[in-house]
Amino acid sequence: MTGPPPPAAVPPGGSPPGSGAPEPEGEQFGAARLSPRVLLIDPIRLLPSLVLPLAGVLLAGGFSPASFGWAAAGVAGSVVYAVLRWATFTYRIAGGRLELTRALVGRSIRTIPLERIRGVDVSASPLHRVLGLAVLRLDTGATGGEQEGVLDALTAERAEALRALLLARRVLPAVAGTEHPQDTAQRSPEGQRSPDGQGTVVAAAGEGGEDGGPPRVLARVPRAWLMYGPLSGAYLLTPFALVAGAVGLVWQWRRELGVTEQAAVRVFEWASDRPGLLIAVAVVLVAAMPVAGGMTYALFNWDFTLRVRDGHLVAERGLFTRRAVSLERRRIRGYELADGLIERRAGVVRLWALVTGLGDAKSRGQLLPVTPRPFATGVAAEAVGPIRAPLRRHPPAARRRRLVRAVAPWLAVAVAALLAGWNLVALVALVLAVAGVPLALDRYRSLGHAYDGVRLSVRSGSLRRSQVVVERQAVVGWTVRQTLPQRMAGLLTVVAGVGAGSGGYEVVDAGEEQGVSFAAEVTPEWLAPFLSPRPPAG
Amino acid sequence: MTGPLRDPAHRVSRRAIVLWLVEALIGFVLLVGGTAVAAAWLSGARWPPDVLSEHAWLLPVAVGVVMAPFVVLEPLLRYAVHRWELSGDVVYARAGWLSRRWVFVPVSRIQTVDRAQGWLERMLGLATVEIRTASYAGSSTISGLDDKVAARLAEDLARRAEELRDDAT
Repeated sequence: MTGPPPPAAVPPGGSPPGSGAPEPEGEQFGAARLSPRVLLIDPIRLLPSLVLPLAGVLLAGGFSPASFGWAAAGVAGSVVYAVLRWATFTYRIAGGRLELTRALVGRSIRTIPLERIRGVDVSASPLHRVLGLAVLRLDTGATGGEQEGVLDALTAERAEALRALLLARRVLPAVAGTEHPQDTAQRSPEGQRSPDGQGTVVAAAGEGGEDGGPPRVLARVPRAWLMYGPLSGAYLLTPFALVAGAVGLVWQWRRELGVTEQAAVRVFEWASDRPGLLIAVAVVLVAAMPVAGGMTYALFNWDFTLRVRDGHLVAERGLFTRRAVSLERRRIRGYELADGLIERRAGVVRLWALVTGLGDAKSRGQLLPVTPRPFATGVAAEAVGPIRAPLRRHPPAARRRRLVRAVAPWLAVAVAALLAGWNLVALVALVLAVAGVPLALDRYRSLGHAYDGVRLSVRSGSLRRSQVVVERQAVVGWTVRQTLPQRMAGLLTVVAGVGAGSGGYEVVDAGEEQGVSFAAEVTPEWLAPFLSPRPPAG
Repeated sequence: MTGPLRDPAHRVSRRAIVLWLVEALIGFVLLVGGTAVAAAWLSGARWPPDVLSEHAWLLPVAVGVVMAPFVVLEPLLRYAVHRWELSGDVVYARAGWLSRRWVFVPVSRIQTVDRAQGWLERMLGLATVEIRTASYAGSSTISGLDDKVAARLAEDLARRAEELRDDAT
């Protein structure tokens, strides 16, 4: 929507005296209030919760003049409350801290050290956008995924300026030293194009001027690709959720709408007498699944844009509510590419960043929605870094183990059910056992691991296949696991401990020698002292 | 033990066998008691086939017979498997009995070192050292250590981690 101006040139949008232009050091950003325009939003937001009490007052008073007086007093009171709340809330940046002060009844000051701010999230609902406002949320990596600071709302320019200021502080000491030299050398110099030429991956103009330089677009997802949305299976249940929501709403307001329990029972009986109608409704709902799911998906992922700005990756998306999530690049340890069965058929994939200390990572860490695989890997290589080694396969014993694990339990259930004389159960279990065969083979095909000197990669899963690429520096330890059946098959599972994402990434069912030497290859200094002396025969 | 990884240098305390034996006994009693309750409920219920409800008492007996050897076997196997070592600024520990788990934690990535004692461990003069990094998969728990050994290990690790502190999580 808005082409954000470079941070330095932003005027301090409508702030009271005392808040000078944000200096590069950002030491003073004097006490300021939220934009007064929120006062236009607050009553509208309060309206739904006011309707019922007001109606109650009017009804109880029999619409007498006095009752109107009370209702007016209620409205006025809520407006006064909103104004007071606005007037008594200030924020300021001083001494390396952001202070949020609320002095409505007591006086509470929330202090957030700037170096603890890991990400800044700017979003705007349609109402906010009409008024040129935006909500700024701070991610401090606090536990529980709860945001510690919310500024609702600032003028859009002010929000941009504040974000630039908050994030600039984080980057200054960080850039040097964390970038790996091999990494820069290995990045491809030329831009990559997806095969159909629709989406573009813009190449870095020059690695040196990247951080702190002008914002640049890494990826812009063409609208045509929104068609891929339903393949991910996301939002497919939207029609059912809508119907359930509508029913729930009618039930909640049953008294106001004059719906009695008898009426509900009658409707139910009327419907159950017409099975054809019920089936038709079910068919319509099921048929609506991809359409409604696709529309919801399009709504959330409209014009998905990934930018690099001030050492951050900024992912912006949404049709009505635009959401921009900033991820500090220095904290990005790798990425995850995931695709389901159908998505794999279509050659599309989703992309997430693995970030240390990121709350709500599933929605915040998203770098790309459903996009063609070459495009996604290109963006991932550009935004984080490529993996330049092919995945190594796991030994055939791993395939046997996948097969046993997928088939044996159902087979056991089938045999037990047959003995007990439950033929139907036995049949179902048998079908599941047979279905387990292709699933197991596919699971085996998914298994793989790789290391290219900078990053390691592991892949597993079938119904949801996931490939993770993590930089070597992010590994904080290793766990090697071997269950009794694995030991008999000569397999083991190696888990790379990473302080980002889910915390551990598994190399499932590698060969004994293979798995341990993989860990030893990635971090030789940690494992070499503990390897068995090589047997002379090799 | 053969395999690509050599044994860590140190065994845990011999008294750990007693600890694991008591723990296994408690687990055994709970398991057999639980199945006995389930069997009593089964024999009273109407839905299962008669074959099942009439012979329900066999269930706890069978569980007891099958599990009893493991009560003795588990502590002994654990004592053979559980080993640890600190060398080259890496903690290398092995644990488990039927399944095994090897953990490598470089001291430079350690965030916290805890020494904990349950009531049973206290009576036996044992302690558990918990080493935490930013990831569960890089964290290790060494149990069954002699109290003094655990204290020294925790102390050494904490001091060395301070010296090596490398904020690369």
